Amino acid sequence: MEKFGAGYLEERKLVPRWPQPIPAIVSLVLTMVVFYITWWLFQDPRGWLRMYTPYVGYMYTRWWLIVLIWMVYIFNYWPFRRSWVEKTHPLLKGAILTTISVFILLVLIKGFFEMLLGNFGIAYFNPERLKALGLTEFFSLEYSALACLMFAAIASWMSPAWIVACEERPWQDLNQPAKGVSILVMTFFLSTLIFFMTMHSHMGILYYPWQYFTSIAPPYWENFAGTVSGNFHVAWIMCCTVMVWTVETIWERFPFKLIKTDWLRRITAFFGIIAFAFAMFFFLYFAQELTWGQAIRGTRLINAPDWRWLHVGEMAVFFLLPAIFITFYCGNWPKRFSLPVNVLIRTAITIVAAALLYILYYKFSHDFLGTQKGFMHEQQFPMIPTIWLINIWLAHHWFMDNWPGWKMVPKTAEEMKKDHAAEKAIVDDVRWSPVLGVGLIVGAVLGIALYFAIVFILPWLYKVINILPK
Amino acid sequence: MAEKKGMSRRDFFKGAAIGVMGGTFLGMGVYSYSPLRKAFFPKIERKMADIGVVKSLKVTNISETSWFKNATLMSDIKNAGGLLVNQYSYNWPPFGDGKGLGKGSYESGIAKIRHLLPNNLDEAWEVTKRLSVSPDNAGGFSALLEVVELNGRKRKFLLDSGWSYKWMNESFKREGIDQMLKNNEIEGIIISHEHFDHFWGIPVTYKYAPNITTYYPEGFYPEGLDYIKASGHKGRLVKMKQGLNSIIPGVATFNFPVPIICRVYGEQSIYVNVKDHGLVSITGCCHFGIIQFSETAYREIAYEKNQLYGIYGGLHISPFEDWDPKYDDLVISLGKYGFQKIGCNHCTGILCAKKFVERGYPVQRGTARNRSADPVYLGNGDKIGFGIDV
Repeated sequence: MEKFGAGYLEERKLVPRWPQPIPAIVSLVLTMVVFYITWWLFQDPRGWLRMYTPYVGYMYTRWWLIVLIWMVYIFNYWPFRRSWVEKTHPLLKGAILTTISVFILLVLIKGFFEMLLGNFGIAYFNPERLKALGLTEFFSLEYSALACLMFAAIASWMSPAWIVACEERPWQDLNQPAKGVSILVMTFFLSTLIFFMTMHSHMGILYYPWQYFTSIAPPYWENFAGTVSGNFHVAWIMCCTVMVWTVETIWERFPFKLIKTDWLRRITAFFGIIAFAFAMFFFLYFAQELTWGQAIRGTRLINAPDWRWLHVGEMAVFFLLPAIFITFYCGNWPKRFSLPVNVLIRTAITIVAAALLYILYYKFSHDFLGTQKGFMHEQQFPMIPTIWLINIWLAHHWFMDNWPGWKMVPKTAEEMKKDHAAEKAIVDDVRWSPVLGVGLIVGAVLGIALYFAIVFILPWLYKVINILPK
Repeated sequence: MAEKKGMSRRDFFKGAAIGVMGGTFLGMGVYSYSPLRKAFFPKIERKMADIGVVKSLKVTNISETSWFKNATLMSDIKNAGGLLVNQYSYNWPPFGDGKGLGKGSYESGIAKIRHLLPNNLDEAWEVTKRLSVSPDNAGGFSALLEVVELNGRKRKFLLDSGWSYKWMNESFKREGIDQMLKNNEIEGIIISHEHFDHFWGIPVTYKYAPNITTYYPEGFYPEGLDYIKASGHKGRLVKMKQGLNSIIPGVATFNFPVPIICRVYGEQSIYVNVKDHGLVSITGCCHFGIIQFSETAYREIAYEKNQLYGIYGGLHISPFEDWDPKYDDLVISLGKYGFQKIGCNHCTGILCAKKFVERGYPVQRGTARNRSADPVYLGNGDKIGFGIDV
């Protein structure tokens, strides 16, 4: 499959058909149209299939994301030949690959979770078993979908993390499908382990009486998180997912790629992403406390700790949208400065864009998505439309080469060489010097000051913006 | 030299960019969930609004059975597309139009029965039964509040008017509500929220007392407002704004702007301040949560003995006998609030009431009469008194 030792994504060159920002705007408009049509067909509570029940639609949305990652990042388009991927018209390629992703999705949900795990391992993955135990059909479906999607939350972090942080080690030299299968098995194993340590207790206390013999009840995080709900874990795991993609897209694997020692870089990247994610996780919770007051255990809706944790994950996904858009459709602009400055500018743009998106979402989305206004509704999850849009962007970027705004041209050996040299120069450019050290100290002080300035103005800002006027 | 200067500036900015990101993330990670962050939280000042005091309160449970078979209701909800679908489109009675589940609308449904409201309710129900989905599953929630003022004057209010015309009419007759309405003994109806099981039976109230003052929470959709008119209401219609609203001395509602399942927005519940006992919370469904309601009372109003004394109504914990670990947060936390008399029912859920009892909370048992399913909580026809024995 590989021509020059890298994957298809690295070995393709996307040439814009028109000067920017026209291709970016065309792509945005096109993907939004597809988003709205598919939203109405599959998810919208007023639409055709009405899968936004909410958990059933939520589960398919999240697992579809992971299937896309598997097909492209882990299996590198296997079993398709490179010539097919390069020469097939993007529309046809997109249709075929998307259809296959949906097929894999159905096999995974119906075959693996419901039939295999749900019949021979854990009852809560299979709605039919729950129904037989006396639950209504609706909640049987919802609860089993919840279990599957909680698994998906972890897999959506682990699957790309092995590529981005661990650089496919130790299977980087294997051919497909051996490499893909190895990474899949490893990430699935880790996801299973983390699922049992983070989500299984949630499922264990979902059923009456608490399942003391099969899960830890009450769960160990109760006092720290102020809730027995597994949403506490959903929050930091979602932040991990967002950070993996932030590092992979607008950060270009900075700052980890500055570490020259291979094993140290990989380990630092894997745990560094988690560290960044935890910083985000705590801050987004604090941001809610600053605007809505402290959470009160036992309350419902906006003041409940379990929802606040969930909302941390929901807020985090808003950052993912601009980060992906900048990389996929804006060529990771800007690129003219040094790597750290480029990364800082992109991060600032992403933060501002995410805040604007958040405001716009809560101000207007209920007019379009068939949902209700309000920050908190027990049956509404902004992660569904946001991840649905991300899925469409991934399919467009990975399966359709950004058609029609861009044309795919395979890179030549010379271009690949140039790319590697440029990449090396970018990394070599960030070298230690006393002046850099001074900048680092000044920057760190400014960073801490910036943090406290944001903390200080957030409550005021929230009042001034008044997202949901009375 | 100039090149070196340029390099230095470039190096400085590189370092500064790394530092800014590192410093910000450091602050986010170290400070944001530390106890030190609490310095940024404003101190809670109690407003201590005076809502007045009453001598006692008696509540009669006219009906708490909003529907009779959970499986039927949930099957309808599932097949119509889930809990976010607009309630007027389910094709449930009285807005059935014969097009089938999830394909109805308020306009087409009301057109079939508008001419029969509110005086020919039997006929209206027969019409809608033929056109609706699961008409026999409809019940309703409604309660009678009898307040005795400090001077001994007795005042009566209805909370909600249920769902099925047939069931609510029977329930009203069983508890003598029809006569009280006819005699104008009941001076107002407080609609907690727009949900089908609390509001769609409103013509039954207007049939007996079209001039009754109606208090509804801000957030009603145009369909709901039109339905009040279509149901023959001729009295005073009072929109209760978000926040605290007085009804009579000692009785007030608090309206919360909350989005609720089946496309409903906003719900109000009632505070009754009972002399020498404390505050009683009367709820329809309490979608915002009983602890939120109690915390709001603490922040907003003054009440006897600073004591949260009692609860009556639905607490919206496991209305469909479903569960979620976050409900356990409520079950675990409720004990801290010191309620002395808990008359929960309806959407509290039987499972939740059992969990309350297991934790030793003072849940008032019922008699499980009149189609109420379980004696673990107050059922149809049961009564509870606060400051008065019943």
